[in-house]
Amino acid sequence: MEKTIASISTPLGKGAISIVRMSGEKALEIAFKVFNAKKLTIENIEPRKMYLGNFELEKGFFEKCLMVYFKSPNSYTGEDLIEFQIHGGILITQKILKKCLDEGAVLAEAGEFSKRAFLNGKISLNEAESIIDIIESESESELKSSLTLSKGDLSLKIENLQNSITELLAKIEVTLDYPEEDFDEDVRETIKKEIGDIKKQIEKLINDSRNAKYIKHGINVAIVGRTNVGKSSLLNALLGENKAIVTDIEGTTRDSIEGSFFHNGIKINLIDTAGIREAVDEVEKIGIKKSKEILDKSDIVMFVVDGTKRLSDSDLKILNLSKKKPYICVVNKTDKSRAVEKLENEIEISAVFNKNIDELKNKIFDIIIKEEINFNNIIVTNERQLQELSNALKNIREIENAEAEVLEVIAMLIKNLWTTLGKITGNTENENIINLIFSKFCLGK
Amino acid sequence: MEKFDAVVIGAGHAGCEAGLALARMGNKTLLLTLSLDAVAFLACNPSIGGTAKGHLVCEIDALGGQMGINIDKTLIQIRMLNSSKGPAVQSLRAQADKVAYHTEMKKTLENTPNLYLKQAEVCEVKDNNEVKIVKTLVGDEFECKAVVFATGVYLNSDIIIGKTVENIGPNGFKNAKYLSKTLTDLGVKLLRFKTGTPARINSRSIDFSQLPVQKGEENIQNFSFMTTRKPKNILPCYLTYTNEKTHEIINNNLHRNPTISGEIKGIGPRYCPSIETKVVRFADKDKHQLFLEPEALSTNEFYIQGFSSSMPTDVQREMIHSIKGLENAEIMRDAYAIEYDCIDPTQLLPTLALKNRKGLYFAGQINGTSGYEEAAAQGIIAGINASLYLKGKEELVLKRSDAYIGVLIDDIVTKGTNEPYRMMTSRAEYRLTLRQDNADIRLTELGRKVGLVDDKRYKKFKKKIKLIEKLKEILEKKLKLDEKLINLFNENNESVPKTNISVKTALKRTNIDLFKLNRVYNLFDRKIPFDVINELNIMTKFEGYLKQQQDEIERAKKNEEIEIPRGFEYVGLKGIRAETIQKLTQIKPLNIGQASRISGVSPADIAVLSVLIKKYKENK
Repeated sequence: MEKTIASISTPLGKGAISIVRMSGEKALEIAFKVFNAKKLTIENIEPRKMYLGNFELEKGFFEKCLMVYFKSPNSYTGEDLIEFQIHGGILITQKILKKCLDEGAVLAEAGEFSKRAFLNGKISLNEAESIIDIIESESESELKSSLTLSKGDLSLKIENLQNSITELLAKIEVTLDYPEEDFDEDVRETIKKEIGDIKKQIEKLINDSRNAKYIKHGINVAIVGRTNVGKSSLLNALLGENKAIVTDIEGTTRDSIEGSFFHNGIKINLIDTAGIREAVDEVEKIGIKKSKEILDKSDIVMFVVDGTKRLSDSDLKILNLSKKKPYICVVNKTDKSRAVEKLENEIEISAVFNKNIDELKNKIFDIIIKEEINFNNIIVTNERQLQELSNALKNIREIENAEAEVLEVIAMLIKNLWTTLGKITGNTENENIINLIFSKFCLGK
Repeated sequence: MEKFDAVVIGAGHAGCEAGLALARMGNKTLLLTLSLDAVAFLACNPSIGGTAKGHLVCEIDALGGQMGINIDKTLIQIRMLNSSKGPAVQSLRAQADKVAYHTEMKKTLENTPNLYLKQAEVCEVKDNNEVKIVKTLVGDEFECKAVVFATGVYLNSDIIIGKTVENIGPNGFKNAKYLSKTLTDLGVKLLRFKTGTPARINSRSIDFSQLPVQKGEENIQNFSFMTTRKPKNILPCYLTYTNEKTHEIINNNLHRNPTISGEIKGIGPRYCPSIETKVVRFADKDKHQLFLEPEALSTNEFYIQGFSSSMPTDVQREMIHSIKGLENAEIMRDAYAIEYDCIDPTQLLPTLALKNRKGLYFAGQINGTSGYEEAAAQGIIAGINASLYLKGKEELVLKRSDAYIGVLIDDIVTKGTNEPYRMMTSRAEYRLTLRQDNADIRLTELGRKVGLVDDKRYKKFKKKIKLIEKLKEILEKKLKLDEKLINLFNENNESVPKTNISVKTALKRTNIDLFKLNRVYNLFDRKIPFDVINELNIMTKFEGYLKQQQDEIERAKKNEEIEIPRGFEYVGLKGIRAETIQKLTQIKPLNIGQASRISGVSPADIAVLSVLIKKYKENK
């Protein structure tokens, strides 16, 4: 199945209206996640009719805009196509696009709408000429919008990383291609040092962009544990007077969130404890999968145990699952005498007596937001870019594991790292290594 | 008028391979050279091979070429470069007896059926579509259907030493004065490149007692799959260095260097700079390494590797005499720079045929490359393709994942070059796969298919493959965790495994190989040839990485398989940037893969192009 694509279709900064388009099988579904209009449902929506409604940019924050639905195959691309017409500035338009991307659309490549139109036979021979005309201008504006989306800042950082890697590669390649020249440098030492530096930078990028995500969407916390260990009372203790938020969220699309509260200015979402209660039973049967799904949605896990009892087999199973994520062992009911074994990353609380609840909140915050958030360092990334960044870390682990390998294998792995980073900005062809070899080293017959 | 199937112009390293390939594939072939004394002449360094170049020689050999066999017969020293590094960057490098190399190749040409070797200068080539007429200066005319241009650096070449510029060929040979015009008349765009060679000195005047010796390696394999006798090291090389005095002489005389004073306008290679250039560009280096290499057994001449120059002779003399061991050196031949015409290789198809015409092929330094091995590699492909063209068969294009030869040709015809192009292992994105040791496995079948690999080679090859297959069972053998195993691992600085392990698993350790295992376990007969066990060893050790690369090759193949129809018109295409259209029109890529490698063509251009190609094909 083709992915659902989205992009800003109007030139940025010009005109009073801008249009965000989305095309693909999931276009309608995504639209209903983000847009609502009076009495409008996915069942009663009529194609080619303009609806005025609210686009939800963030929780509780709406922007008025128009939506039109073109039903497949009667659309420009031949697929289900949604158009949002926005009477806002650049920022609002970008936020709307970003939201569509967050909900599952992917950013369209330059010319991709027209490409799909052609592939789906929507452009006849006669039409082809005139419509392909548009591609050029379209690719220009899409390029610009995608660049602004990533703030250009990320591109610059990636470019710098790629340049350092290219320099490192030149140092390796020259020893491979010119074995008879004498170079004083110990390449393996250089590799170790430089890869270490690059790793730190990538980790920081990931951290900064995760922080951006946390600032925007909050930290997702899963509360897991056997029945009767006090999960519900912990939930209530954590939410406290913020209970109001819980009701706010009910009925919205985020049905997996049980409740949210703010701590140090960051929203903390408690997710799907109901689901986990079911899952616990399943753990004991077959249900690793369900629990895993829940855990996947969370950034951190609170594993709750009853402090008055020793760990049972089910406790251990749940604990093992929890360890796939950053986790905290929450020893509850410490108002009574303790029987449970000493646990790693533990904190003693009493949900009923509100003991150590603030400390628990601090702990969640400290584990996730490792460094103080510097708002100047926030890097806006989309999921794809974040994915590539963690792929880059995977590449680095491969390089580290191959420490004893022959140099050409290490060079290959370093090239993979270069290419992975390049996928973030679209720069995946490296013609500079050889130029660098000749400009930096004295070689010749 | 005498008739031939094909005429090859030039009998250097490209021309020899092209001529041999054509003749061996059954075409009556005329091989013309300016001088029979310059056949397969090693005009610069007396050596064959080196990093990436050793790979090329083995690939030429696997396709059924001559270079590997010829150097095996005539080498006087041999080493494996990068032997401390991995198998993919290990390359053979041999010192050649350049007199014997020439004589041996000439003899091979003379005795090849269908091949006619003749001394003559070509002054004109007429292209009457199917029929070509090759005219010589003395008035002979030869009719043929295909021509291979392999003129090397002889096209209107100038030899430059200081202020002296002579319009002659290298080493005092005559040059080709008229062919440049013929090429221009055929519509070919010419470039002017430059290269150079160092001085030769008399060994009786070198004080070897002061210089470190560099010996060859014993027990080493040959270049050619067909050579059976072990190579012998007869003469060593020597090492010396320039010093501050040398650099001072150079700096004081820079105004007399023709590159600076303006006599030289051609573009020289960055990887092969003159000593003047090195001293100026890398002023912080207080010395540069030089090798002294014997030219042949039948002469005293020594080649000073690393010291090419175009300074006036009095400066050259002073420079040489400032070097340790060379204080009293007698200079027998002066160093010189050479400028020559070559073609812009983007005018060629990946088959090495000239675009827009039929049956005209180009190979070697005329295509803007540098090096004997690069030339020979193109020569064999031009010969094969001229032959396939004559027989009306589909021509051979090696992919970047098939061979260094594929990388070389794809690079020059797709990206062009603005300096003499030299092969380097870093140019090959699939380096781990394209090894010297598996050149035969990669290419023998292809050589057989086009008809260049003879029965003898093919039988021997099949036998090797069968043996490797059979020996694969060794890999599954279990090694017991006992004292023997523990000792072996300890001796090789590897942590001892916790359980019994298979041979295959043991081989994944960096310091364990099949040869070491065999000493302890007698896994295979020691008479089994080295190359067979070596192959098995490498295939197993690098299995994971090779698989990773294979996946990448498969992914890239998708684009290689979308062919761009011949005659597809780019001009007027909408949605592709004007500069891209211009490049596509010029390069005429065979497929989307090649199109994507043209410099400056963006992924967006390629996306649109794929769509337009699809549309074009559907409407056909």
